[in-house]
Amino acid sequence: MPHGLRSLATAGALAAVFVATAAAQDHPQDPRLGRLDAGARSLVAVVIDSARAAGLPTEPLVQRALEGATKGAPGSLIVSAVQRLAADLGRARAALGAGATPPELEAGAAALRAGAGTPVLAQLRRSRRQTITVPLAVLTDLVASGVPVDSAAAAVLALAAGTRDADLIDFRRAVERDIALGAAPTAATAAAAAGLQSTDATHVNAGARDARPGRP
Amino acid sequence: MFEDRQDPVERIVSHVRHPVRIDPALDGRVMQEIARGESVRAPGAAVAGWRWLIRPRQFAVSPLGALALAAGLAALMLALPRRGPRSGLPAEAARREFQFVVVAPRAARVALVGDFNDWDATRTPMRPAQRGGSVWTAVLPLSPGRYRYAFLVDGSRWLADPAAPHVHDDEFGAPSSVVTVGGS
Repeated sequence: MPHGLRSLATAGALAAVFVATAAAQDHPQDPRLGRLDAGARSLVAVVIDSARAAGLPTEPLVQRALEGATKGAPGSLIVSAVQRLAADLGRARAALGAGATPPELEAGAAALRAGAGTPVLAQLRRSRRQTITVPLAVLTDLVASGVPVDSAAAAVLALAAGTRDADLIDFRRAVERDIALGAAPTAATAAAAAGLQSTDATHVNAGARDARPGRP
Repeated sequence: MFEDRQDPVERIVSHVRHPVRIDPALDGRVMQEIARGESVRAPGAAVAGWRWLIRPRQFAVSPLGALALAAGLAALMLALPRRGPRSGLPAEAARREFQFVVVAPRAARVALVGDFNDWDATRTPMRPAQRGGSVWTAVLPLSPGRYRYAFLVDGSRWLADPAAPHVHDDEFGAPSSVVTVGGS
């Protein structure tokens, strides 16, 4: 074999080896999944690989699996939870668009799981220029507090465009407090939304926040 | 009249034949001017550097050399930090401290576990607000996002945060709460 061809063949073989090695190292199984039993681990890894191939964020899937493992859930339950979350992330991306950030997708998946429809997510995306992670989370939390999903969606959609994240979180707290004090969830939501909208109009120093640690 | 017409020609010929006298210092002055002009037009170091950078060059690289170069670049890409769990989020500067509080009377140890610490019960132990007290606290910096978490009391008992929203779907039979960190 001529010298040039032999060099080329060697280079090609090395390239093949390198590409194969790089591909194998590119997405090795996450060592954190070692906390799962062997059967669940391999199935969760398949779900994660599929999500990665689909361009979905994988960290929420890992965290969901770790939550199940730490809580001592059976492997089958962990696998189904991770599969369900992967499907929800895919639906959230379909609604929010390919440009959605991983936190937005995660919050969108939770909102879908809470009962919000994909049109609500898409409408929220259109209504707000900045990230919609917090509006989606507030929507989900309101539903978890007992607010009907339609009322929660209407309130968040009305507020999202012109309200800062911190004020949306305050709004959620106000609703939860009023519900805890005995108000009907829908009425509490409407009252807090109206209060926030009227407060927004008269805020003089809306940027002022104390520097103490926040509370969930 | 005819002779008058020849005279100028002869004068011109005679003038042309006459050697031209050149100032001996002329050469020196010309060279000085050239040197001065070059020094005025000489580009600065930055311009020269830019020209050097944009001047096309040809390289001859063997296939093996090209492969080694590509392998080096690929190895560099692999070595770079991967996009983390909260990729796309504002940097460290956007992290905000959150205080978690739970009342757990008679507890010997309480841990805060959640999406922010890989649900690792050893990573964020909580401290009693007072020695022997029942109020346990932990302060944690969090980037904007949504996190599921819970309190693990004495390594076996799970508690949700009574001051925070609970997760809508409790898939694992133990309660969890949610904290949402805003960016604006």
